[in-house]
Order: sequence, then structure tokens, then C-alpha cells
Amino acid sequence: MVTILPEPSRLEPVCLSAVNTPLQRREFLGAAALGFGDVAFRSLLASDGAQRPQFPARAKRVIFLFMKGGPSHLDTFDPKPLLDRDHGKPPPFELPRVTFAKQGNLLKSPWQFRQYGESGLPVSDLFPNVAQCVDDLCILRGVHGTNPAHGGAMLKLHTGSDTFVRPSMGSWIVYGLGSENRNLPSFITICPTLAHGGVNNWGSAFLPQHCQGTPMGTASSSSRDAKVKHITPPGVIGADQRKQLDFIRRMNERSVTESPEVEAMNARLSSFELAYRMQTSMPEAQDLSGESEATQKLYGVDDPVTEDFGRQCLLARRFCERGVRFVQVTHSDSEVQWDQHSKLYQGHTKNAAEVDKPIAGLLKDLKSRGMLEDTLVVWGGEFGRTPTAQGGNGRDHNPHGFTIWMAGGGVKGGFAYGATDDYGYYAERDKMHVHDLHATILHLMGLDHEALTFRHAGRDFRLTDVHGTVARAILA
Amino acid sequence: MLVDAAEIPLAQTEFFERKIRPILVENCFRCHDATEKEVKGGLSMHSPTSFRSGGDHGKVVIVPGEPEKSLLIEAVRYKNRDLQMPPKSPLSDSEIRDLERWVEMGAPDPRPELNHEALAPTGMDPVIGRDFWSFRPREAPEVPQGVNPVDHFIDDALEKNSLVGTDPASREIWLRRVTFNLTGLPSTPGELEAFLADESPEAKTKVIERLLALPDFGVRWGRHWLDVARYADSNGLDENLAFANAWKYRDYVIAAFNDDMPFDRFLVEQLAGDQIDNPTEESLIATGFLALGARVLAEPDREKLIMDVIDEQLDTTGKAFMGLTLGCARCHDHKFDPILHADYYSLAAIFKNSESFSETKTGAIKHWYEHDFSTEVEREKFKEIDAAISVAKKKASKLKSDIAVRLRGEARSKAVAYLEACFDFSADDSLRTVSKIAAKAGLHPRILYHSRRHLDNHVHSDVFGPWWEFYQSNNREGMAAFYEAKFSSAVLRFSEIQKEDPKAKVIPDETLEAFRAALFDASGFLAVPAKPEHAFSDIDLAEYYRLSDEARILESRSPDYPAAMGLTDREEIEDTLPIHIRGDHFSLGDAVPRAVPAVFGNDKLSFPDTSSGRLELAHWMAHPEHPLTARVIVNRLWRWHFGQGLVATTENFGVLGERPSHPELLDYLANWFVENGWSIKGLNRLILLSETYGRASAPLSSRDPEIDPENRLLSYFPVRRLEAEAIRDSILHVAGRLDPEMGGKTIPLRNRQMVFNHTSKDHTSYDSLRRTTFLPIVRNHVYDWLHLFDYPDPTMPTGNRPSTVIAPQALLLMNSTLMTDSAAAFASRVMKEEESLNGRIARAWKLAFGSTPTADEIAMSAEFLNEAPDSARQWSLFCQSLLASNQFVYLQ
Repeated sequence: MVTILPEPSRLEPVCLSAVNTPLQRREFLGAAALGFGDVAFRSLLASDGAQRPQFPARAKRVIFLFMKGGPSHLDTFDPKPLLDRDHGKPPPFELPRVTFAKQGNLLKSPWQFRQYGESGLPVSDLFPNVAQCVDDLCILRGVHGTNPAHGGAMLKLHTGSDTFVRPSMGSWIVYGLGSENRNLPSFITICPTLAHGGVNNWGSAFLPQHCQGTPMGTASSSSRDAKVKHITPPGVIGADQRKQLDFIRRMNERSVTESPEVEAMNARLSSFELAYRMQTSMPEAQDLSGESEATQKLYGVDDPVTEDFGRQCLLARRFCERGVRFVQVTHSDSEVQWDQHSKLYQGHTKNAAEVDKPIAGLLKDLKSRGMLEDTLVVWGGEFGRTPTAQGGNGRDHNPHGFTIWMAGGGVKGGFAYGATDDYGYYAERDKMHVHDLHATILHLMGLDHEALTFRHAGRDFRLTDVHGTVARAILA
Repeated sequence: MLVDAAEIPLAQTEFFERKIRPILVENCFRCHDATEKEVKGGLSMHSPTSFRSGGDHGKVVIVPGEPEKSLLIEAVRYKNRDLQMPPKSPLSDSEIRDLERWVEMGAPDPRPELNHEALAPTGMDPVIGRDFWSFRPREAPEVPQGVNPVDHFIDDALEKNSLVGTDPASREIWLRRVTFNLTGLPSTPGELEAFLADESPEAKTKVIERLLALPDFGVRWGRHWLDVARYADSNGLDENLAFANAWKYRDYVIAAFNDDMPFDRFLVEQLAGDQIDNPTEESLIATGFLALGARVLAEPDREKLIMDVIDEQLDTTGKAFMGLTLGCARCHDHKFDPILHADYYSLAAIFKNSESFSETKTGAIKHWYEHDFSTEVEREKFKEIDAAISVAKKKASKLKSDIAVRLRGEARSKAVAYLEACFDFSADDSLRTVSKIAAKAGLHPRILYHSRRHLDNHVHSDVFGPWWEFYQSNNREGMAAFYEAKFSSAVLRFSEIQKEDPKAKVIPDETLEAFRAALFDASGFLAVPAKPEHAFSDIDLAEYYRLSDEARILESRSPDYPAAMGLTDREEIEDTLPIHIRGDHFSLGDAVPRAVPAVFGNDKLSFPDTSSGRLELAHWMAHPEHPLTARVIVNRLWRWHFGQGLVATTENFGVLGERPSHPELLDYLANWFVENGWSIKGLNRLILLSETYGRASAPLSSRDPEIDPENRLLSYFPVRRLEAEAIRDSILHVAGRLDPEMGGKTIPLRNRQMVFNHTSKDHTSYDSLRRTTFLPIVRNHVYDWLHLFDYPDPTMPTGNRPSTVIAPQALLLMNSTLMTDSAAAFASRVMKEEESLNGRIARAWKLAFGSTPTADEIAMSAEFLNEAPDSARQWSLFCQSLLASNQFVYLQ
């Protein structure tokens, strides 16, 4: 979970594709020992044909703002005039073979769209604050997935597979790039939902364990209380625990014998030191008291409506500053949040009110600190929603066409890419399947999705399986 | 219809070169060019014949002269959602017209033919595959009389590599090693004394027999098999429903190892325990093996779900018993091993005849099949229990909706007050500000907050447009009077209409109706927040929580139907199944009959018309001469003792797997195993009594480190870290806290109850002090102690657990309650059992490490303890250090 590189200068992305089964054990140990005289690991890389990417990284880190439940593209970033015109009429197109529920007639958006910024891109009244940042957004309107149920779609979006347990996107990135810090995990997920794939959505599956996401709290806890498990010592960290660790070190130094396990045992000595440091570095990173009132306000931490998500966004920035590679922020709680099968208007109004200001705050803050250039912000849900009504005032799941946007990290700003059909049911032009999205994110991180492989159970696995095309048109 | 390039009229050649080739180059060749490493859909568009004849679909892509019949044209027209090319965006209308014209012309293609033979994808031919090492019949290597066969083959290989084995390990180390390997627990000081005192030549045999006879043997070795069987107590994957009957399979496995059930029978029962003669409750439970997989239970496409489940069953069966990665042949021929695409569907046909699902559902979530053991009387009793749970749930949901109705009514009665309060703040104001205003006016803060946003969203609406006019002129009284009048006349008018016609839903006057609708719209300007936490008062919320918890706890504690997860045969038996082209259940190819893969010579086996064929498959797999089955299990056993298999890839005996380090030993052990009744305990004895097993764990200093750096030749015993279970169990054992109770249900949920749905609240507790094997395994949220110490992903068969070192393990050992409580118990035990400082140190050492401390170790410990030699806290810190040390968590 925690890998450490001693100096940032070693940050060239590497692909570990050849380090696998026969050497699996060694590789695990090496990875864990990074930063503690990791000559063995480095030489392992050299001797096992580690590859370097053919292109430089555009982004050093990712913040994934995940909107659990499936926000409607038709009511946020993908306006459809024909939907207004034909409101209440039966859909003049064929419905998919498998739909989640019975589909009604066309339902127009309850919100108005307005044009913003120099780019003039339209954003609905749900996101007035994010709209102010539209010239930084790269709006992907032709995204599509495969699975119409939450579980399958979430697993697909996070891991590329809705059939089997596979490593998550963040894990692949950590696997490919290693860590950028000494005291924190490389992949943190703040208040994730345990439903619909749960741990699998940030798990490392067969990748080395240090690649998996470290959860802080769950969707059922407030972000104020979110903590990494067992991070708090039973007493105060102090002389006792220090002496105890020194004693363990003395014991362990004695028991190290001349065997291949010596690396693991050495790594274990270091792992206690790292754990000891994490006990202070994690609370330090989470402590917002040093943030100015203006900054807290920018993220909406001062308003009970935006406080929870605002804190998550602010934490994401703080983790990024400290070298965490992949931070996921989840908008979810004890409900399936954006899942408005009914009362679309009420539900989306509430949801958008909770995230709009914090997201805009994050984008503005990253920009003013010069971090947006090499931080890729990704916003989206596991699918979009149907242009047809469900039960009169709701919309059903729609994986066939929806919107995800990116900002910063090497993508064009004020740019819309791809399109759904006239009613917004199906992605139709410059389509990006979830696999293409993954390929593109990896590309931005300097990783070739076809070369980033791991040998497991007899074959080489990729995040994108045998699919995926980088959407080059969106690269800045 | 094929035309030779030389005969194509010049004009047509020009048309192709000018119009068609550029389209192909721009849009198609990236994926459909046979000169690239991968050809999508098996369709190469790079030469005339391959282009026309098509790809995996097996359908002709171009019918010359007939655009309407050509798949190419259908695909580019983008009308068929399942067949759209190019995949990212449609071609322009003029490009589509050009392609249509070209096909109409007869699709003249002046390009040269390419030689395709050389480019065809290659797997391994089944006939050639029969000569691959693992598919060949086992050899019968000989061993001289009176020599342990393990030592014979191991020493032989050492000698050939100019290596010698190390000296035997000390008796302390051997005892600790064998005790952990057979029971997963440390040896006790008493056992150590007895063993050290036993000078008879049978001393080791006695220890082994004592350990094999303990129920702990089954706990340890059953757990090994549960890794292979990807055992879990919940579904995980998309929807996390409790497998509250899975424990029966777990206990079956533990009992099978304790009873030394012959492995061939163990195999047959797990694959076809429902099909054997005279099935028993146990043999039915055994089929849980095929039912335990993680499934996407809410998958709305039922056919996809069924094929996904079969895939999981085939892949697990292949890996667990035969070291075959059958799943790789779902979409095409196996890329490396001699398993054909057709072989996969021949096997799938067997499983397709079995039922994996029950007819019941929870909403969109399908239920897995269970064998029903209940009697008529029990079923009646369970109906009552189900009804009681349903009543409790309804009580909670009714309270929730009642409160919502009440809140809605209250808000409606103050509709004008809400509109008035909206004068005092803007939509950008914080809820904090809004709450103060709401409190003054006696309104609900969240409803008021929403009302203001609603007004912003409806500046030009008929109902709320007027509000904005009043607002801009700051005319509160005017606004209040206006809406008071509108709302009350709408309400009045509606009640009059309803008196005349009770079925009336609307007021005919559209304007008035709009006001009525706005007032009554549950998600409109007076919408009550959907979340009880946002809507309810503290008192209401507490009551709602109480009722919800009551329902949940009632359900969790209610007894389960006597049933077990498993598989049964369907009534209709089909002998064939169509090949699914590229694994797609909408692209069906030729039907293939039930069979085992061709590499094994599939003409030998016939399948009955009256049953699925699982039993025949199982018997074939358990045949003494099956080339893989015995080799695979024997190799697993070796892995569980030495930390590395003779074949390092325990789940893959194919081309991408490792080759055996000692092929003769592997075959010898497999033969011995089959000849000795497939006895797991017997094979354990043979291995454990070898000198190889008894060697010291440090390599000889004279050894050349360049030779055999990975110790595959076993010149010394490999040191390794204990597994998650062994670490936790040992900590509890040493602390005197381990609860020895065996078996039974352990997940605190009723069968098919949600572990957690969208609440993300996991109510599973791990406070139990029983052996770790008896803790619940919740997929998607595995207990962190297990998860952090490399417990395998319980969705795939694992015979080879990794061993990682990560900082969170250290956090767990430093800060978890389990650890600190155990350290305190360990300390108080040691302080009670011995008086003197040195005596206590020695006692702690013996309990934790199974050895006597050296003078140095005593001195080091005394130095640490002397800061506060009588303090329970200091002793506790000391004991925790021992439990966290390498010596405790590594096995020498």
C-alpha cells in the first residue's frame, strides 16, 4: 500500500510489465523496500527489461471526483434542444435491447443551459460555479459503457471489468509509476462507498498490494471523521512506542539470517518506521486548521450543505501537494446519491448544490497554485441517464451515452469532444468507451495502456483488456 | 463473382484508389489490418479475399453488387446498434455513398492477395499438446529400497548442481515448523519438553501422528483448500448478499481433511455430489464449490449472466483441479495452451445443463440456487418468520412515509410564509444563514433552502414569475396577498371539482391548475428532503432509526432455511451448445456437443441424455490416469509445506506456467498418492519424515550464491512468513485467549440479507476469539487483518499466496485492539506463571518462539524491562514487541 521513493528525481515513469510470476515474491518485497536502500529492486527492474514510455507524462497525479449513482448528462453538460421540443412524445428511436426499467416518453430538462466563458460552452443552471471554470474543462460528451446496473457499471469504470475482479485504475497508475512521497500512501480514496463493488473499486486484485487504494472512512461517515484504520496509537505517540520500536528493531536485526527472505525482513524493519511516521503525517495532511478562511470558504467548508464534499476536495488538494498520485473523492452517502429514478428535479438540485461550489473551488485553487497544469481532474458517474422518463419525473440508468469531463493535466480546456444523438440516448460521434477513457488517462500519466501489463495466472493483464484507444484530439 | 485484379476496368480501379482506399486507410486499417499484431474481430481488410469473406462472425462482409446484403454497408450506415463501424464516429454521408456505389459495382478490389497462412493466430494444436509435459501420462520413476523418495530425488538434483543439503534443523525448530504446517498454531512449551525428552527413533513420527489427529489439522488444511475454492460468506461483486449457508461447505471441507477423505471422492462430490448414487446432505453441500463464485447478481441481461457464471465455474474448476486456464478459451482458441474455442463450449455445454439460480429474487437481484433440506412443517414455520420480518420492515418504511406526508402538509400550510422568507436571502447563501431565517419564521430550514433555489430555477414560470416581480419591487405584502389568493382559490376549486367527480385529477383552468400543481408537487418548491437526516426532527429520526435497526436485527437473527448452496441438473438436457463467437452471446456459431477437450482424446467419453454430464466429467477428472489431476494436488501439497510448488505456478500447468523443478519427483509423488488411496494425510507423512523437510533454514556458508539463488533445489528449508490466519491465531494462542470452538454459522446475517447496500455500514463484527478460519469472509470488505496480511482475493482460486510487507501491517501490529489486548493478556499470563524477571523472560520466549532465549537475548530483554520491571504496561509493551518481531511471524 505504501511505496516510497527517496527522491522525486527518480520519477520517470516505468512499466513493470516483465516483473511477474516467477519473481512475484521478490517483486513484492522490492516494492515494499523502496526508499530503504532499494538497490535490489532497482537492479531487478534493470535486469527484467523494464520499459520506458515513448512519451512524457502530461499529468503527475489524478483527482477523480466520482458522482455515485449516475448524474444526468442531459441536465448538466449535454443540452438537447430536441428534447425540449418533443417533450412528452414517445421516443422516435429504438431502445436498447436491455434496459434497467420500463421507459416512458421523452422528458425535457428542468434546467436552463447558458453559455459561459470564452469558449461559450453551455452548462446548465445546476452548476453555476463549475460553469465559471468552463474554459478549463474538456467535456467528453460521447462516453459510453456497457453495463446498465450500478454494480457492473461502477466496476467497469473503476477497473475496466464488470465480470471479474481486476485491479483498479488507481492501482494500475501506482503500479506503473510508483510513489512520489515518503510518508503517505500513493492512492487514497476518501469516503468511498462500500456498495456496488466496494473494495474492488480501489483494490489492487493481483497487482502488488502496495498498489491498492487506502480508504479513509466510508460513504456512511462524514469526511470530518474519515480516518485510515489503525492510524491512531492506543496511547499518545511518545517515548513508549519509540522505545518499543527500537526494541523490535534490535530483535529483528538479530533474527535476520542469510536467506532470500532477508530482503523481506529488512523491509519489515523499515515498514515499522514508516508506519510510525504515518501516524503523524496522515493527521497532519488532514488538518485543515492551517488553511485560510478564504480557502475554506472557496471550497464551501463553511456551509453545512457543501461542507462534507468541500472538505473532501480540499483534502484531495492537500494529498496531491504531498505527493499522493491518485486521490478519489466520492460524492455518496447513505443514499445512491445521483440515482434519480424519480424526482429528478429535487434530487439533482440537492446533489448539485452539494458539489458545485466545492468542485469549482478545487479547480480555482489548483489553478492559482499552478497545480492544475500537472493535475488531471476527472468528473463523472458510472453512467448517465435516459432522455426518456421513468415514472413521470425521473430518469433511468443510461450507459449508452453520457458525459465525463476532465480538467488540467494535459487536456484541452474550453473544449467539448464527442456527441450523443439528437436526444442524448446513444453516444454517436467521437465516442469514448470506458476503455478509451482509461487508455487516455494512462496516456496523460505517461503510461502506454498496451504496455502496462502484469502477468497473472498465465497471461498478461491490462487495465484496458484488449481494448482502448487514446483520444488524441483532447490532448492539449 | 471474384474478379482477377488484371480484369478490373481502369475506371473502377481508379474509383477504388481515389475513393475507397483512402476510407480504408483513414478509418479501418488501424484495427483490421492483418499486418498489425492484432486483427479486431478476426476481420482483415488488407486483401480482397479476407475483406470479403469476413471475420469471426462467419458472415460474408461484402456481397458484390448487393449493398443491402453486405454487412459492410449495414455497419457504416450506423443503424444497427450492435454493428456500427467505424466504432468511434460514423463516416460522412458521401463516404457511405461511395462505399455503397463500390459494392454495387461488384466491389472491385485491385489489391494483391496476401499470404494468410503465416499470419493466422496460433494456439497449440491439440495433437501436439499431448506431448506437452503436463498432458503426457505420468512416468514411473524408481526409487532404491529404504530411501525416502523425496530425499532421493531432491538429493539427486542437488548433486547434479554441485550442491549439498544443510544439516538438520534443531529439534526446537523442527517441532515449531511441523506444528505450524499441520495445525497453523505454535507448539506449546509442554509439547516441546515432551519432544525433547523423547529419544526414541519414532519421536518425529509420534509428533506427526499426534498433529494429524488433531481437529486443528482440518482447520489448517481445510483453509488451504478454501483458498483454492475462493470461499466467501457473501457475494460481493455488484450486490453484496450474505451467503449465510456457505459455512456448511466450509465445515464439509474441514471434515473432509480431518477424515482424510480420498481426494478423488472429494473432487467428485464437489463437482457432482448431487449426481452420485445415493447423494447425502454432505455430498449436496459439497456442490457449493460450484456455487460460491462471485456473481453480478443484478445483471439485467440474463443470458450474459448465465454464461458469466458458467465461465466462472469452468475457470475455477480448471484451475483448482487441473491447473488449466480454461477461461482463456471463452472468446477464441487458447493463445498458448492446447485448448480450443470449441473445447470451451463443449465443457460449457455440460454446465449449461445445470441450474445455478433459484426462482426467487430481491428486487433486481437474482438469487443463487440452494438445495432445500426443509420439511413441510419447517417451511410453514419459516413463512411466519418471513412475514414477521416483512412486518418489521414495513413498520420502518411506513413511519418514514408518514413523517414525510406530515412534513409536506406542514410546509403546504405555510406555503406563503416560505415565499415570504425567500425575500430575505439569495440562493448563494449558506444553509447556516438560511437556518437562522427559517428558525425565526418557524419554517423547515432545508425546505426553505430548496424553495429559494426553486425560485431561481423558475424565473419565467407562470407560477413563480410573479414572485420575482414582487421581489424586485420589494413588495412583500403584495406577494403574500397574491399567492394567498391563488393557492386558496386553487385548493377550493379543486375540492369543488372533486365533489362533482371524485376521480378528477386536475382543475380544467390551466392557470389555476398550475398553482395547485406547484403547491402539491412533492418534488417542487416545497419538496421535503429525501434523506431522513435532512428532513426529520431529532426525535423522529431516532424513532426511524430504532425501527430500521429493529427490522435489520430481527432479520439478522432469524434462523435460515435448512438449505445449502449448490447446483442441480435442469430438467431439459441439451447435448450441444453453440460456440459464442468472441464470447458474445449474441454472435452464435456452430453447436458443439458435450465433451472434454480434444487434447485429452475426447472420443473416449459419452454423456447421458438424462443428466448434465457433470458426474461423467468429474469421474473423468478423478481417473487415476488423468495426467493433470494428481500432479496438480500433489504440487499444491508441496507448495503448502515448502512455500513454493515443484511447479511454481500452482494454478497453471500450461505453456505459460512454470516447468517442474523436479519432474520425476512430481510424478513419483502423484503415482504414490493415487496408489495409496488419494490420501492427503498419507502424503503428508511421506513428505514430513524426509530429511529434506527437516533441514535447517539457513544456506550453508560455503554455498555458491550464484547457484540456485531462489532455492528451488531445496538445499535448505525456505524461511517464510506465516499466513494471516496463523499470525492472528498464534497471537491469541500465546495470549491464552484462543477460543477452540469449531464450525457453525459465523456470518451475523440471515441468508441473502444485504451485507450493506448503499448505506456502506458493515455490521459484521470480528470480535470473536475463535480461529480465523471461522471468521466471516465478506467479499468487497474483507476483515482488515486478513486483507493486510495477503489473504487472497476470495473470487479466484489461489494456491500460492503472496507475502508482502507493507506499512499498514505494522500499524495493525502497533495499534489494533486485538494486538494490544492480546499483548496485555500475554503479559499478565507470563507475570502470573513466573516470579523472577529472567524466568518471565524465558517463559515469554518459549511461548512465543518455542525456544529458550540466549544470554544475550535475556540481557536485551532485561534492559528493556528494567525501566519498570513490575509494571504491567511495560510487560505488555515487551510482549507486544515479541509478537510483532520477525521471529514470531516468520517460520524457520
